[in-house]
Amino acid sequence: MAMPGGEAKGSGEQASGKPIGTKPQGAQAAWRDLIVFRAAPRPRQELWLSIGAFLAVLIVWLIVAESGLVHPQILPSPRAVMAAWWRLFTEADYISDIGISVARVWAAFLASAVIAIPLGILMSGYRAITALFEPIIDFVRYLPVPALVPLTLIWLGIGEGSKVTLLWIGTFFQLILLIADDARRVPKEFIETGRTLGASDTALMKDVLLRAMLPNMVDSLRITLGWCWTYLIVAEIVASSSGIGYELWTARRYGKSPEVFAGILTIGIIGLASDQAIRFLHRRWFRYLH
Amino acid sequence: MANSSFIRIAQVAKEFTAPDGSIIPVVEPLSIDVQEGEFVVFVGPSGCGKTTVMRMVGGLETPSAGDIYLNGKRVEGPNRDKGMVFQSYSSFPWLTVLGNIRFGLKYRDDISADEKERIARHYLDLVGLTPFADYTINRISGGMRQRVAIARTLAANPLVLLMDEPFGALDALSRERLQIQLMDLRRAERKTVIFVTHDVDEAVLLADRIIVFSARPARVLADIAVSATLPEKRSLDILDIPEFRKIRRDVLALIRNEETRMEAAE
Repeated sequence: MAMPGGEAKGSGEQASGKPIGTKPQGAQAAWRDLIVFRAAPRPRQELWLSIGAFLAVLIVWLIVAESGLVHPQILPSPRAVMAAWWRLFTEADYISDIGISVARVWAAFLASAVIAIPLGILMSGYRAITALFEPIIDFVRYLPVPALVPLTLIWLGIGEGSKVTLLWIGTFFQLILLIADDARRVPKEFIETGRTLGASDTALMKDVLLRAMLPNMVDSLRITLGWCWTYLIVAEIVASSSGIGYELWTARRYGKSPEVFAGILTIGIIGLASDQAIRFLHRRWFRYLH
Repeated sequence: MANSSFIRIAQVAKEFTAPDGSIIPVVEPLSIDVQEGEFVVFVGPSGCGKTTVMRMVGGLETPSAGDIYLNGKRVEGPNRDKGMVFQSYSSFPWLTVLGNIRFGLKYRDDISADEKERIARHYLDLVGLTPFADYTINRISGGMRQRVAIARTLAANPLVLLMDEPFGALDALSRERLQIQLMDLRRAERKTVIFVTHDVDEAVLLADRIIVFSARPARVLADIAVSATLPEKRSLDILDIPEFRKIRRDVLALIRNEETRMEAAE
């Protein structure tokens, strides 16, 4: 049974290996597809291009910084930043700073999600809940989060509570509207199918609506998690004695620009890693979409 | 008040309110009686309100006036008694073929889990999808997706099967195949069916009875007993026999006349 398939595969490999001219041509075509309007995806070439762009930025940085054209105080060289990183990890206990920052982000993010998911779904389904909450949500949504810092400090002091609350305010009111939108975009036919198969309102929300909106919801959560990091730095700069933002701000005060750069890169790397992790899970969980 | 009819649509009207506050009549007061086991097809010019009438039977729309009774009970909203198959693919993409059919039984508490599994597999087999039981919906064709939707609806054991242009989005060959399958299914199951289509050939091929609707607001223009002239067991060969062509011609004439009248009115 496996014979014909194995044979075909074997001969295919041979065929592509024998004539030397064919393979580079295929690769050339793949590269060309990258600049053809709406061409087929080329994951490998796209990855190389992304890595290349990243490296290009690094190289330009390296050249400009090492050439001495820019004062190191303005643009420290990559080597100085690496050294600063090393110092931060070995001398300043940077690991616990990263730990506390990540913990703050996730505490606020989870608190947002746990409330926003059910409330957003209810908002999409019941006009009364939308009418009750939407004006308040829209009002808070337009408040600049840094403006709320004094208030959270007065109410909650300088402990963890005020920081997590600030992050929560910054994300919850955005997330709930994203979730409600995700729920509203579920095709009417899915809901009506559920009803004509005998689902109650609760069953509809749990078994149909939530399942149908899940892929979009995970995307909304991923985007919100990114916002959390933005507000984290605001919270840690203003009132904190720990965390990536605090270290960043302290380094600025002493004019240590390599440390500032190290802090910015740390946040970027954590952000990129968590984003990619969620994308990876998205692809695994929602195979039926890909 | 309900008489002996299985489905009784009694003086039912429907109007919508436009955004500017004006009232648009979609269905004029009309009455239709459907007997148990009958296959009734609604045809009419597009946008005439035939789907609205069917959706009211399904409890998915509320009549502005009049009442609908199913098996002696007033229709108050959607439930498992009124199974619905939509034109668009309504199979759930996060479930497999078999998972979708099982979903039709999810809210039945009158039978055991073993019985549910047996019924799900029975309908899976009935629509010929047993080899595809574990496929996800994105891997099967449009025709197969509609078979999944039909099997899922039948598994819920509704009193009436409501089908809203279920084959409208399919290519000609898949449509023919599904029409034949539906006739076989229907003979085996003895379900009461209301089927909405704008394809007159499909209507005559499938129907015991064709209700022809006028342009909007919908009225009943004609009620044609197809089963009086055509045999119950039909194949696609029937498209060539004179009786079929006569009914087809009559229905088409009515619809064309309506469309001309509507264009003249505008």
